[in-house]
Amino acid sequence: MDALINALYSIPLVGLVFQLGGYIIAVGPNVAPGILQAATPVALAALCGVMCERAGVVNIGIEGIMLTSAFVGWYAGVLLAPVLGTADLGPFGANPALVVALVIALVSGVLISWLHAWLSISVRADQIISGTIINIVAVGLTGYLNNLISKASPNGAGAFTQFKPPHELTDLPVVGWLLGMFLSQGPIAMSVIVIVVIFQVLLFRSRWGLRSRAVGEHPRAAETVGIDVIRVRYRNVLIGGVFAALGGAYLSMEATNSFQQEMTTGRGFVGLAAMIVGRWSPVGAFGAALLFYSSTALGNSIKFARPSGDLGTILVGLPAQLYDALPYLLTIIILAGVVGRSIPPAADGQPYEREATA
Amino acid sequence: MRNRSLGLTLLAVTALVVSACSNTGGGAASASAPAAANPCAGATAHSGGTHSFPTDKTKWKIGVSTDVGTVNDKNFNEYTFNGAKAGATALGAAEPPVVVPKDASELAKNIQGFVDQNFDIIVTAGFNNGQATNCAAHANPDIWFIGVDQGPPCVTPDGLPDSAFKCAGDAKTLLPKYVAISYQEDQPGYLAGMVAATMSKSGSIGAIGGITLCGPCVRYIQGFQLGAQKVNPNIKLFVSWVTTSDFTKAFNDPVTGKNFGAQFITTNKVDVLFQVAGKTGNGILDAACDAGIYGIGVDVDQALSYPNASKCTVTSAEKKLSLSVSTDIANIVAGTQKGGDDHWDAKRDGIGYSPFHDLESKVPATLKQQLDDALAQMKAGTLKTCPDKCGDISTLPK
Repeated sequence: MDALINALYSIPLVGLVFQLGGYIIAVGPNVAPGILQAATPVALAALCGVMCERAGVVNIGIEGIMLTSAFVGWYAGVLLAPVLGTADLGPFGANPALVVALVIALVSGVLISWLHAWLSISVRADQIISGTIINIVAVGLTGYLNNLISKASPNGAGAFTQFKPPHELTDLPVVGWLLGMFLSQGPIAMSVIVIVVIFQVLLFRSRWGLRSRAVGEHPRAAETVGIDVIRVRYRNVLIGGVFAALGGAYLSMEATNSFQQEMTTGRGFVGLAAMIVGRWSPVGAFGAALLFYSSTALGNSIKFARPSGDLGTILVGLPAQLYDALPYLLTIIILAGVVGRSIPPAADGQPYEREATA
Repeated sequence: MRNRSLGLTLLAVTALVVSACSNTGGGAASASAPAAANPCAGATAHSGGTHSFPTDKTKWKIGVSTDVGTVNDKNFNEYTFNGAKAGATALGAAEPPVVVPKDASELAKNIQGFVDQNFDIIVTAGFNNGQATNCAAHANPDIWFIGVDQGPPCVTPDGLPDSAFKCAGDAKTLLPKYVAISYQEDQPGYLAGMVAATMSKSGSIGAIGGITLCGPCVRYIQGFQLGAQKVNPNIKLFVSWVTTSDFTKAFNDPVTGKNFGAQFITTNKVDVLFQVAGKTGNGILDAACDAGIYGIGVDVDQALSYPNASKCTVTSAEKKLSLSVSTDIANIVAGTQKGGDDHWDAKRDGIGYSPFHDLESKVPATLKQQLDDALAQMKAGTLKTCPDKCGDISTLPK
């Protein structure tokens, strides 16, 4: 076996591919949980995008929704910690204040989505403008309030902690690292996988999913068979708001336990890109988010510990900037080569007017 | 219609990403932007002819313009303001007014506000204020500016900020009243390195810098390396950089920092980690705490400035911001201060290490003595804290 591997390694190009494969297998298990953590907020943003756009509503206010919920969740924790206490509730380092704060963060996300829904569905305003307004207001408002509040540098309600799976599970051959990846997580990161699976099944296998897609593709036809287009759109935008809010809460309540001005740093927009790369499907969007951060993690790995062999020699010679650019290069390659043409829902971004009222 | 709306989405997304970047990146991002026609548009001279300074030293008007954030951040803003306050108190002057910008676009406006009110000394906090301060000093060569962590100033032959970093102009003569404070970062880095090597049980320690383009970050880590080797010549040092190009990621993204730090720790198995990455570094300290290893903070006492990680932050490589500002104010009023690069090192007590706080009991009793000896040697000028190629990243392990 070793002889075979050595023989393969010595063939130019093929050897390099094998060395890269071997390197990824060697470092992969260690970095896998980190990849999912980094991908979580982006994946949730992407799911929000899928949820809205499948029903025909473009939502570029995701960034703003995330930022607001990140702030609201953190600050609710600050206010609630003395009232409800921070006694440990058991798993995930949850405490009463933290859990209630998370719920408040989700509610805030839904409220802002409501604004977007009202503007873009009921009032039929330009959906891009509506989303942009949300983004701008969120940056200004959270930044200003944070300035006011953080003068006293208050203590928050803590953060959700990661579950530590028993090492018997993570040491299992072949699948152990995968279990580790999905189980060594806090509650929000873990919930992403559940959401993705349920969302994917419902979107393509349930009555609600069919109606959502119909409304996004051809709202007029949907209306003629008795689907309430406005209601479906409202519902999807509000549910999408929950996803985006969860992504925001992840930043300030699980990844860190503090809020920082503009802490989303464009993750909502990267989420929209993941949605497009994932062709407007939940699994695809999640995969795209994982892909972005896998390549980031691979780039970091190569920075931290270079692979051995010819591959290592070649990589040493490459400029470090290339590793920073890796996620974007991979996206271009995947988008152009593997995914093919990515087609949005036909009625995406178009306000719907009932015929009777038109 | 379908295509148009998709195109619109993409356009809007791009526009927003770009504007978001330029906001968060602050001065750093604008420095890397293509050279604008005039980087100092908006910086104008004060009214009323040449500025005359009050003869009564209690009448000096000192103003402080901070960086984005809050005044009480236990970081650059707070210690700059404290220094200005102490300087004013020593003169018997009024407590300096302080303005905090909402975002990076207001930095220049806030400085201009003090200029228009004919202030005598305008103190600006942090590297992000560098360009705006330089511009204001260029338009107002007759009032004093103190820029904390802005030295050495890099100007064009006209005295404008040089975005190409050729630094052809002589700031000392072109901007004679712009005091750009700089620090000898390798010295506090050296002290941090001694602490790291002493606290490490495995013999592997790490340092993470924000961005490779950051000269002070490189010097911190160069000093860190020499200090660690002084304590343990066989110490293994791992160095990495969060990014090579993205200032937001480098200094303003704790979530990325935590992720990066966690991967760094698991890959390299270090047990002490030094962060030189601003708020991204706060996430790195979080990662150190989560991994159960020691973290070392930077610039200010981070056990105070970032209490989230105080339980594992053993010390911080400190710049004595308050002292530099108050001393410079006193020198200006006494008429002995010169413009240009105002360099602070151990000789001027401009640098140091932070107390061990809660971790005092874990630190060997001899370490404090060793650190103080090293500081004394730095003051005497007998300790080499930076390699010959000081500031050159190629001397660091890859």
